Amino acid sequence: MQSPVRPSQNRNTMSRAMPLKLARFWLICSFFLVWAILIAFRLFWLQVVRHSEFLERAERQQQRTFEVAPRRGVLYDRNLHELAMTVQVDSIFAVPTEIDDKQATAHALAAVVHTDPNDNQTTEEQIAARLEAGHSFAWVARRVPEDISSRVKDLIKTRPLKGIYFQKEFQRFYPDNEIAAQVLGYVGVDDNGLGGLEQKFEPQLHGVPGRMYTAMDARRHVLGSSEREPQPGQNLMLTIDENIQFMAERALDHAILRTQAANGTVVVQDVHTGQILALAIRPTFNPNLFRRATPELLRNHAVSDVYEPGSVFKLVTYSAALQQRVSSPDDMIDCQGGKITLAGRIIHDNQGEHYGVISLHKALEVSSDVAAVKLALQVGQDRFYQYIRDFGFGARSGAELPGETRGLLRPVNKWGPSSIGSIAIGQEVGVTPIQLVSMVSTIANGGVYLAPHVLMPGQVDGAAKNQQPVAPLVPSPFKPGSELSNPLPAGSHRVLSTLTAAQMRKMMEGVVLYGTGKEAQLNGYSSGGKTGTAQKIDPATHLYSKTMHIASFAGIAPVNNPVIAVAVVLDSPKGQYYGATVSAPVFAEVAQQVLEYLAVPHDIDLRQPRALSKAELQVAEDDASEHTGDINALYAAANELPSDDPLRAPTNQPVATNQPQPTAAKPQNESQPTATVTLDDGKTLRVPSLVGMPMRKVIEQAAAAGLEVQITGSGTVREQAPAPGTMVAPGTKIVVRCGR
Amino acid sequence: MAACTTTYFEAGRSWSARVAERNAELMAQQSLRRRGVRTPEFCFPKHLDNSRLVKAPDPARARQMRVFSAAITVLFSLTMIYGLQHFRAIESGYRIESEKQVRDQLREDNRQLRLSEAQLTQPDRIDRMARELGFAEPQPGQMVHPSVTSDASAPALAQAAPPAPAAQ
Repeated sequence: MQSPVRPSQNRNTMSRAMPLKLARFWLICSFFLVWAILIAFRLFWLQVVRHSEFLERAERQQQRTFEVAPRRGVLYDRNLHELAMTVQVDSIFAVPTEIDDKQATAHALAAVVHTDPNDNQTTEEQIAARLEAGHSFAWVARRVPEDISSRVKDLIKTRPLKGIYFQKEFQRFYPDNEIAAQVLGYVGVDDNGLGGLEQKFEPQLHGVPGRMYTAMDARRHVLGSSEREPQPGQNLMLTIDENIQFMAERALDHAILRTQAANGTVVVQDVHTGQILALAIRPTFNPNLFRRATPELLRNHAVSDVYEPGSVFKLVTYSAALQQRVSSPDDMIDCQGGKITLAGRIIHDNQGEHYGVISLHKALEVSSDVAAVKLALQVGQDRFYQYIRDFGFGARSGAELPGETRGLLRPVNKWGPSSIGSIAIGQEVGVTPIQLVSMVSTIANGGVYLAPHVLMPGQVDGAAKNQQPVAPLVPSPFKPGSELSNPLPAGSHRVLSTLTAAQMRKMMEGVVLYGTGKEAQLNGYSSGGKTGTAQKIDPATHLYSKTMHIASFAGIAPVNNPVIAVAVVLDSPKGQYYGATVSAPVFAEVAQQVLEYLAVPHDIDLRQPRALSKAELQVAEDDASEHTGDINALYAAANELPSDDPLRAPTNQPVATNQPQPTAAKPQNESQPTATVTLDDGKTLRVPSLVGMPMRKVIEQAAAAGLEVQITGSGTVREQAPAPGTMVAPGTKIVVRCGR
Repeated sequence: MAACTTTYFEAGRSWSARVAERNAELMAQQSLRRRGVRTPEFCFPKHLDNSRLVKAPDPARARQMRVFSAAITVLFSLTMIYGLQHFRAIESGYRIESEKQVRDQLREDNRQLRLSEAQLTQPDRIDRMARELGFAEPQPGQMVHPSVTSDASAPALAQAAPPAPAAQ
């Protein structure tokens, strides 16, 4: 039997156990409470106080940014024909870890993708090296044509090949190949503009790359992504007319073939707006194959090269004289038998010309140096210099082409005693073809200088280069205008009065009708202009050369209501080197075609094409006399150019050097003069190209081709019918028209 | 245990009958075990009539249930609507993305075609093909451009007059 519980003992034990248990309980509770508070505090510290820091670290660790290339803007001509555009093409890449036999794969792929011997990135060795070096990615070939892409896809299926994939990339295409190549420029592998308008307007054309932000975990699994769409580049519309550009380039090709000149430039300008309708340069290159281009081919001779214009510059002298009213076209001027002495230097007229007292317009027609010097002396050097500057010489024209030089023109306070005489006849001054054409445009439109432009106005704001144009591009076909725009575009200013300009146009017409510019006559249209022949500086001797010349012609058409101005400059033509015989025919060919293309109404009666007699084609030579200008003046002017002027480059000379003729210039039908005739099924023959050949060679070629030839005129062949490349029956008679 | 087993496997009669008989036997045996003293047992059947009992109406409870049902219905509807829209939006997003890809592909095809057109219409190519076909450049004056402005004094080459209205 249990002893009874003693209440007193039980009470005492219970009274001590309660407080001790309670204290222990609260002690443990407080411990956990403190612990919880610490955890909460730590959480607050990490999640709130250091939130941004950890967020940033997480973003750095997790986020990857991929750049999405934007589509480059399109370059259009004024009729909205694409001159340069970007499309997507396939690029081939490999994942080397998925490829078992890398050598065999490289061999199989190189057999398909390596089509260009000059491309050393797609050889078998290069592909194999990239496959060996890479782990997860290696380029095989980038931006391959559609046919190669198809063949690689077939190869992957038939072999089969593992680890080969395709990716779309942008590729720049120039559908017209060489047309306006120097104006357009080209883009490199990374879609950056290199040269021409592609370089000049790189920020606008390139666009804004897109961004793809992805978050990845430690195993590179994508957690999420956000995108920013790429903004395509801005489309630009040029003032160039594709068809007029083609006409100018074809005429230049004919001239280069005929004269074997080192290079040539033709500029066609709208006289009422200053817009450049065509800018042809030879030799040229294909922007689609820019790797084959040399730095010399990339040079834009129209804005980057200067030359002494020679007699063409007399238009400035005569304009200044008429504007200053020191003379009028019908006034008589004493040419002193073709010789004048100025500050101890004797300036002669052309060889064999000893004119006495003749009218002013006659003096321009025969290109009398004496008359020009006298007029300049009457104007005075200060005012003469001002007219030269007003015509745009000695300053950049502002055309939207990179590498433009301002030309060579010393300030009047640095002129020598005889400089006014030299400059009056186009010596001691360096001009660019684009300055030259702007000068004749000024005369053509009634006396207002209009800055030349290659880009349609209102597209690119100089202050805000990234703004997109509001309105979409609309075609702006060239329509011959008769009046200047109102208000005048920026950079315009009046140089001559309307009367003076009209008088000058009349005198220029006289040059073409009666003077040295007979080869510039058109059929059905009146034309006016001025020829020029200048000696070049020999880079070896630094003296004026007797064998290297610059032949130029600047003209307008029609005369009474001019539509276009054309400047033709040929560097170092072989054989005939006068502007009258070499450049004037180019003007005629270009102007005739352009005016017919523009449907300009004929302003004179049409004449039937006939063989011109030798007497009619006898043109007077100009600037055949020895150069008397101060050569050091040119070098001094070159040294005063700003540092960013392309003429300050060490390899540049004040006048373009005579480079070997590259092979890019080719005739329109792509057959060389010595091309063999291919017999097509034995029943038809292909007509060879006889343009530019002398008569003896014409007869030999025709006989070799099994064709007969009928020759009209004398000299070298200017036209032929049927056209080269035409398939004709054996014994067909080819009619050729020759001229000097 | 053995008796239960026997009863269970016995065939011929229903289970309840067999159980009742078995219980009677057990009862008899129990009585004998009580040394022959048989306790009178009386069974008073009770007839319980619960038909008078009805559930007391609880309007508060009923109202709560109605409110609850309504709330659940609304919540369910909202959830369904949200879910429907959510997944519909996802589906639309996929469809939109698919259409965007089609659109982008068509645009790219359009650019390719424009490039092809530009290459095919380049002046050099047209000129070469024309010459190979025997065409030559038109001579000056050979092209006649119709004038834009009409000359009233020029004789009319053709004229169209509206038909006279039919007499009624």
